[in-house]
Amino acid sequence: MEREYQYPVNLFTEVRIENRWTAVYVVQNGEVMRNLETETTGAIVRVYDGQMWYTSVTNAMEDIQKEIDGLAALATPNPEIYEHPTVRNFGDCRDTVLRYQGEDSLRKVSEEEREKLVWDYVKVCEDNPIPEVASYRAILNLENLKKEYYSSKGAAICQDQQSALFFHVSGILIDGITTGAAKGYSVTSFAELKGHEEEILAERERYLRYAKEAVDVKPGDYTCVLAPSVTAMFTHESFGHKSESDFMLNDKTLREEWILGKKVGSELVSISDDGALPYSGYVPYDDEGNRAVRTDLITKGVLTGRLHDSHSAAVLGETITGNARAQSYYFSPVVRMTNTIMAAGESDPEDIIAGVQDGVYIYGVNYGTGSATFTLQPNCCYRIRDGKLCEPLRVNVVTGSVFEALFDVDAVGNDLRIINEGVCGKNGQSVNVSMGGPTIRVKKLSVN
Amino acid sequence: MKEKYTYRCVSAQVRFQENAIETFAKNTEISYSFRVQRDGYLGVHYQEGEMTDEEGYRLATENLKRKRPYKYAPETGVRERDKSEQEMSDRELLDFGRELITTLHEKYPDFTLSGSLHSSREESGMYNDAGLSYRNRDCTYGMDIIFKHKDSKDLMDGSFSYGFRRLEKEKAYRTAENYLSAFVKKAELPEELIIQMPVYGFIGKLVNQLEGENMARGTSLLSGRIGEKVFSEKLTLYNDRSDLTTWATPFFDGEGVVMEGDRQVFIDKGVVVRAYADKATAERYGIEHTATAGRVFADIPTNGNFSGYIERSEKTTKELLQGRLSVVPLYYDGGGFNEKGDYVMPVQRAYLCDGEKLIGMLPEFTMTSNLFDMFGDDFIGIGSDEPVYNDKCILIRMKYGH
Repeated sequence: MEREYQYPVNLFTEVRIENRWTAVYVVQNGEVMRNLETETTGAIVRVYDGQMWYTSVTNAMEDIQKEIDGLAALATPNPEIYEHPTVRNFGDCRDTVLRYQGEDSLRKVSEEEREKLVWDYVKVCEDNPIPEVASYRAILNLENLKKEYYSSKGAAICQDQQSALFFHVSGILIDGITTGAAKGYSVTSFAELKGHEEEILAERERYLRYAKEAVDVKPGDYTCVLAPSVTAMFTHESFGHKSESDFMLNDKTLREEWILGKKVGSELVSISDDGALPYSGYVPYDDEGNRAVRTDLITKGVLTGRLHDSHSAAVLGETITGNARAQSYYFSPVVRMTNTIMAAGESDPEDIIAGVQDGVYIYGVNYGTGSATFTLQPNCCYRIRDGKLCEPLRVNVVTGSVFEALFDVDAVGNDLRIINEGVCGKNGQSVNVSMGGPTIRVKKLSVN
Repeated sequence: MKEKYTYRCVSAQVRFQENAIETFAKNTEISYSFRVQRDGYLGVHYQEGEMTDEEGYRLATENLKRKRPYKYAPETGVRERDKSEQEMSDRELLDFGRELITTLHEKYPDFTLSGSLHSSREESGMYNDAGLSYRNRDCTYGMDIIFKHKDSKDLMDGSFSYGFRRLEKEKAYRTAENYLSAFVKKAELPEELIIQMPVYGFIGKLVNQLEGENMARGTSLLSGRIGEKVFSEKLTLYNDRSDLTTWATPFFDGEGVVMEGDRQVFIDKGVVVRAYADKATAERYGIEHTATAGRVFADIPTNGNFSGYIERSEKTTKELLQGRLSVVPLYYDGGGFNEKGDYVMPVQRAYLCDGEKLIGMLPEFTMTSNLFDMFGDDFIGIGSDEPVYNDKCILIRMKYGH
């Protein structure tokens, strides 16, 4: 149902309303630790006078007009406001894009189905016991989000997103040390969470071997081969955050450093971002009412694009890309990635490993960070000797320079994989993202 | 039994973007957890925004159908605590925000400054029909500035903060002066690496090891070590809800439990004394419950955490250093502790420091240690003063990594 507001004249006004349904079911060491279902509704109202934003949050939908009027009283009316370059970039679409309100809606999954899914996975693990497993946690988290966006430019957008997340984590205890063996799935339908028993069991076995046999890495520089999930994180952290253009608006040094057309990496490297893809970062319209588009960020090693909100696009004189995202109605949007993917190459992953005399294979990572020196915190690595994977390695952190690492990519695999379990933090806001990549080889990274 | 757990936070933010005010934001966050206990079960309804008690308890009663087990007797007691000292109006906050960003930009034109100045009026309450009436109020303010030098090729170069209950402008400007003036000076890494950081930079891993269920199941690095001297004699760790430097922490936990004197010791002069547990964890594993149930609004209470308080030395930070220089990490991320308790952290930006004044910028390095060394032989202490961060500083010896 479209809502109507009386917008103050000579000010730009927008209203974003969110209705979020969440169900959580957690079993930990045989006990149901969480069993909840919540539904919340809230709105953020933002008024802009060309100089400053004035924002307010409310849970009372009937108070939205009052909030608009209250913020307008603080702002300075500006007769030219709709000629302001930033305001001109705000969306004015009227559209409804509801993919997840029908039979596939997670809101329709019954409590019994949710409980069964979790307990079935718990039972599979119990039926295949590993004596060293001292604890476990099975987590189901379903979320369906319906968003409305209205603005004084005439925008009226209704869209939705949903995510179904399941994680199984085992604590493998050997000699007083507990190693976490986690396997997780983030998808958009409940049905996709089923049927992963073999993978979960296999992952426990992998980490059991790791816990038993891993040796501490000797710190140093190594040639590293990154598994697809690690490349995905590498792509997001090493370069992705530098594609978010809000960091460089009035900064001469950074604008020169990241000028479009500049060679920033090996010819094997191509990276794009696309919020329209149906992965975790799916946002058909961003939180400024702009439609998501595919942005080619790096094409064969050359910087060809960057991500924008309305303001950054206006300041830099570039085209909006639909990347203004907010964590929830408590927040104003900032420039964020959506689904960021390094394109597949032509190499066979086995051949990539075979080309390494002495190096490190990074199988899995916990998280990463993305300043000029990017970091990856691995949770499972293997030594590569004479082109073969050898003993498991315990590595604490891998670091590299964004200005060097992309040039050091000398092999890109044909095994592209999308990782949907990503959550990205920036400016105190967390948003769902997906990251994608194939197996790659980087000539030199610092390993500790 | 009917019980209502409430949280209300009225906050305001002046946001800075590239040396100017970009946004003035006001938020009112209201959360209720309506709880109805019957026949050993707890029905819970979570509400964001206002709702009448009648409706809240009706929905909580409906949720008894989930059969969430909770058999513990409700707490009783009446108490109010108000830690707030100064009420700044939105206008005063906005005016100081303007003055702050203008002054800093004029004084340090080579830096791009972003961040925020913010206020937060928080009130937590718990009320039940067994006679419990608890209310905790706090009013805190903070300045968080992210800075980037004009010649830097990084997205940011660092950040500094100043938190306060009563505004002392000169402290805000002194903090900025300390960070920004020293940034353009170069310094060399000292041979002995003594890290000076806010306490919370390291303490989380230590506190997590004390979690009751992990301690009982053997999955904590401290399992089986209660009563044993594991850490430095200088280390005494509390859960201290009376600590004035801990903000917005109510005196009661998520089950309405209050510690005697609002504090409880967990590590005493290096000896591990107890694990922390809510009532259910305590019963399940036969340990004491320690007023550490988390702030769970949408389900039954479960074990939470606490922001550990380490007993401070009588000496100042500078006195603890005994003439040596410390290293203050400014921008560090990406590493952390592994399952063995080994710690590795790349430090992208750091200052050399004499304990009080920042001297100059250091080259990038990696710091390494281990949980047991950090709080064992390499633990120097926490000074009686609050230099550099306007907050408690921990001093720990570490090693350089690759």
